[in-house]
Amino acid sequence: MSRAAQSKPAPAVKRPGGGGGSGGDAADGGRLHDDLSSLRVADPATESCPVCKSSRYLNANLRFLVNPECYHKMCESCVDRIFSHGPAQCPLPGCKRTLRKHRFRVQTFEDIKVEREVDIRKRVALVFNKREEDFEDLRAYNDYLNDVEDITFNLVEGIDVEKSNQRLESYRSLHADEIAANQHLAQEEKMSYKELQKQERQQAKLRREAAHREEEEERREAAETKRDMLNRLAMGTEDAETVAKEGQQVQLKRRMDRQAAAERQRQLQAASDMNNGSSNLVIKGLKSRKAPEPEAPIDPFGGLSFEGRQYYNLQDEYTWEVIQNPKKDKVVRAGGYDVMEQFGGRALCEAFSGLGVFVADETSEGVKGEQDERVAGTRRAEVGAKDVKMEDPF
Amino acid sequence: MKFFIGDLPVLFPYPRIYPEQYAYMCDLKRTLDSGGHCVLEMPSGTGKTVSLLSLIVAYQQFYPEHRKLIYCSRTMSEIEKALAELKALMKYRADQLGEVEDFRALGLTSRKNLCLHPSVKREKSGSVVDARCRSLTAGFVKEKKERGEDVELCVYHENLDLLEPHNLLPTGVWTLDGMARYGEQHKQCPYFTSRRMMPFCNVIIYSYHYLLDPKIAERVSKELSKDCIVVFDEAHNIDNVCIESLSIDLTEDSLRKAARGASNLERKISEMKDTDAQKLQNEYSKLVEGLQAADEARDEGAFMSNPALPDDLLKEAVPGNIRRAEHFTAFLKRFIEYLKTRMKVLHVISETPPSFLQHLKELTFIEKKPLRFCAERLTSLVRTLELSNIEDYQPLQEVASFATLVATYDTGFLLILEPYESDTATVPNPILHFTCLDAAIAIKPVLERFSSVIITSGTISPLEMYPKMLGFNTVVQESYAMTLARRSFLPMIVTRGSDQGSMSSGFQTRNDPSNVRNYGSLLVEYSKLTPDGIVVFFPSYLYMESIISMWQGMGILDQVWKNKLILVETPDSQETSLALETYRTACSNGRGAVLLCVARGKVSEGIDFDHHYGRTVLCIGVPFQYTESRILKARLEFLRETYRIRENDFLSFDAMRHCAQCLGRVLRGKDDYGIMVMADKRFAKKRNQLPKWISSALMESDSNMSVDQSVATAKKFLKTMSKPFPARMQDGVSTWSYEDLMQHKGKIDAERQLDGPMNGDADAYNMHGDQIMNEAQGADGMDVDADFDAAMNSMDV
Ligand code: SF4
Ligand SMILES: [Zn+2]
Ligand SMILES: [Zn+2]
Repeated sequence: MSRAAQSKPAPAVKRPGGGGGSGGDAADGGRLHDDLSSLRVADPATESCPVCKSSRYLNANLRFLVNPECYHKMCESCVDRIFSHGPAQCPLPGCKRTLRKHRFRVQTFEDIKVEREVDIRKRVALVFNKREEDFEDLRAYNDYLNDVEDITFNLVEGIDVEKSNQRLESYRSLHADEIAANQHLAQEEKMSYKELQKQERQQAKLRREAAHREEEEERREAAETKRDMLNRLAMGTEDAETVAKEGQQVQLKRRMDRQAAAERQRQLQAASDMNNGSSNLVIKGLKSRKAPEPEAPIDPFGGLSFEGRQYYNLQDEYTWEVIQNPKKDKVVRAGGYDVMEQFGGRALCEAFSGLGVFVADETSEGVKGEQDERVAGTRRAEVGAKDVKMEDPF
Repeated sequence: MKFFIGDLPVLFPYPRIYPEQYAYMCDLKRTLDSGGHCVLEMPSGTGKTVSLLSLIVAYQQFYPEHRKLIYCSRTMSEIEKALAELKALMKYRADQLGEVEDFRALGLTSRKNLCLHPSVKREKSGSVVDARCRSLTAGFVKEKKERGEDVELCVYHENLDLLEPHNLLPTGVWTLDGMARYGEQHKQCPYFTSRRMMPFCNVIIYSYHYLLDPKIAERVSKELSKDCIVVFDEAHNIDNVCIESLSIDLTEDSLRKAARGASNLERKISEMKDTDAQKLQNEYSKLVEGLQAADEARDEGAFMSNPALPDDLLKEAVPGNIRRAEHFTAFLKRFIEYLKTRMKVLHVISETPPSFLQHLKELTFIEKKPLRFCAERLTSLVRTLELSNIEDYQPLQEVASFATLVATYDTGFLLILEPYESDTATVPNPILHFTCLDAAIAIKPVLERFSSVIITSGTISPLEMYPKMLGFNTVVQESYAMTLARRSFLPMIVTRGSDQGSMSSGFQTRNDPSNVRNYGSLLVEYSKLTPDGIVVFFPSYLYMESIISMWQGMGILDQVWKNKLILVETPDSQETSLALETYRTACSNGRGAVLLCVARGKVSEGIDFDHHYGRTVLCIGVPFQYTESRILKARLEFLRETYRIRENDFLSFDAMRHCAQCLGRVLRGKDDYGIMVMADKRFAKKRNQLPKWISSALMESDSNMSVDQSVATAKKFLKTMSKPFPARMQDGVSTWSYEDLMQHKGKIDAERQLDGPMNGDADAYNMHGDQIMNEAQGADGMDVDADFDAAMNSMDV
């Protein structure tokens, strides 16, 4: 049993930082990583349990389990024995972690490091699940992938674990909605893919059966023709040559008929596939549904802007009594309204409404709006290129 | 002799021409003129290669386009033969024209055959030679040298850079030997000379793989222009070559090695981080920008090339999650670990690529896209790390190729995991086959890129099967009969033993003692009556072994032994070549010998048994493929679903093409003669799947014989053959001199005049091969056609 020594875990576990993080699965991946390198599975035929030392050589049905808390491997019966009565400490020397029975599971990968890596990836993938179509361009997506991989890699290799975990968590809380939406999408895709596969298998089976039937039929017919021919020959009334010729022709004709029929069938099938494909068919190659855009605040005017200032500027003062008077009126000011805004703004707005169409804006040929000729507080929009003079309303 | 086909003057290096050669050339020209693909079947031993070359060279030299010829063949010896023929042809042309044309032709084969480096060339395995050569010639090695580091370079390769890049080699036809000699004299590498001179050649002769295998084609054949004329000679197996070029097998061992390779890479990366982090950073930023492809292309010795076909390559930047070197190695390790886990399953699994990817993603979070970039990313990494011992990374390269392929193709491929080697094995030895099912995938880029692709062979019947399987349309599709002045080969189908018990290698009866005894007595009889050599083909090694041991028990071998030496082909090629040598010696010194071999083995494909080396070929049983093979089953299903080729049709087609190959082994020319015996009752129904030239010589009366009948016929045949038959008897019938040729041409023209108003004479020169053949056969008085028609109409279709 020279192998036993080899598969024993590293006896001394250095803990320079002094205990601490036993919280998350991989909170202190760095040290774990060191331990794990000695834990590679040896030759499966002579593998033995590090706890009770029974080996597969003696017991062919030996099954090993690991717990994602520390990834120490032990045999099923040891797990039963030690953890049946509730959580207990890992029996391996140096490992002080508390393990629960229900978290033990069969190891999927031979390399325990990969086993652990995949667990971490699972955790990361649940959070960082953006898709390519969420990004403006490929470059951005690739950069995103790169960042995610950095975080994952750090977690796996135990570099800056704290910081990486933090980044993960903060992202999770920031983008909770998006994450959920994409998760939903992925789930849906998976379901439809499974469904599709099932149907395809079904179809393939049907086609196979059809092909067999066809062949069977052909064989039967050939036999029949032959029998028929022999019978006729046996009667001896006809010339052998002609009988043979006829036989051939019958067979040829049948084959042609069958081919034609198959062709028709195929066309029909194709047609029906196209027409009522919706009945129970899963449609292939659909682009996965777009995630709905985040809802904007309600805009009752459908994007119409009232910031009509494009055409005029509100000045601080107007020597116009319609404005000046209310400004002095306590009753009016009591409400706290800005008189200029209310009265002046309204008046200007009314004056300019209906002038919404500006040729210069539409043709985009340089609104030469820089001619700030303030006539009574308005700016005249000038159409330079086309020489269309706007009448000044005032 | 010199003659015209239409306006094209053809110089043919022999004074006489066979009618079928002339017909073949006419059809070739028709194909080239119309710019399309064709399938042509030309009887073996009728000078296919020389007709092909003389027509195409004439075409090249006459028309201003000077279309380049790419001639692909299967084996080294065939390539050598073609080069030798071309050399003779060019010499003849020079004599006739009075000047040496400005013409360059060369062959290309693997480094293993061409290498001159004193230590590299001694390596046994071709892939090791490739890898070692790469580590002596790669671009970064040279850079290192320039930086003053102590690295080894290959002088033969270095010297090339001193020469003018378009004139590494004088004009002329270069055989492989000639090239090696020239290389030795001028201290320049023949392999790279050939490769670099390819754009400056009129004719290139190389193996199929340089065009069909995307891993090689990408590097070697990329620069060939669209109007090249591509010829696939001996193309009856082309579908299998296509399929193999895209299939990959992985074993536990190779995965272990790949994992080791990945760990090595990891180590190298961390080493480089300590010493030269800048380099890794440079690579990284290049990948971010997506600049990879451009400078990859220039490196002719690079580690590996993308296994996916050029049309299917994703041309975008490498995905972000494998951009960093350490991320990528971790990615590879995870993928390999996943594959290892899959290998542990103890039952057979067959799975489509999408479902494999789905499972992979669920288990390891590996997405399809980075997987697709595996090959490219690995190449870049190897370059950056400047690895010198590239051969250690081959298994890893294989895994990367697999990754790229499986993520690129959804259909036409299948993954089959076989945990046990055979049904009876108890110790698992799993193999993961990633098998291509669709031959059309690999050849599609070739057919699309080149305007004329000519697919030709001695046995490529039924012709319509190939366009169907490979997915293309032909402009000409023709099979030629063989014109013979006398019946010089005798095909027979033996269905019964002398005891009237039927003979068959069918599954139920194959080991019946009476069946085996009948086969035995067939062999004994023929060993008595045949002068010199007999070649016997069995459907498989397994069956051959069992039948030989039964014959041993029945004392049949002893009886054969009295007449002839017995030699056996084995899967070991060295043993087989020894057996062959002995066989030839025995035939030459007059005693004669019997060679027992397998219909799909080496002997059936590449070895000729001309003249006394083969007077009789016995085909024992129909050489069906082993139908229980899962890969074959998957392919059959695919053919049925996609191309509507029925399973039985395909199996029967495949068996008959191999059978025809075997039969064709003994007849290698018109002055040769031989007996062809197909011994199985099932052959009677398959006779019209034989190539036209064999089936038209197979008489109705010879297609259902018993052993003693066939022996009597064979004796009679040999008696006529032993009479002297002066060559001049063939004149005007099976060989034409120039006068004969003109006379026949005149006759055809006259006929055409008769139905002139119908045809018009717009394409008067565009003679059709079949017209010529009809005419030729009409002249020789042998009523072959009637017989052939009878065969076609035979009711056992
Ligand atoms: S460059 Fe040529 S001679 Fe040198 S090792 Fe490579 S193949 Fe051999
Ligand atoms: Zn235990
Ligand atoms: Zn533990």
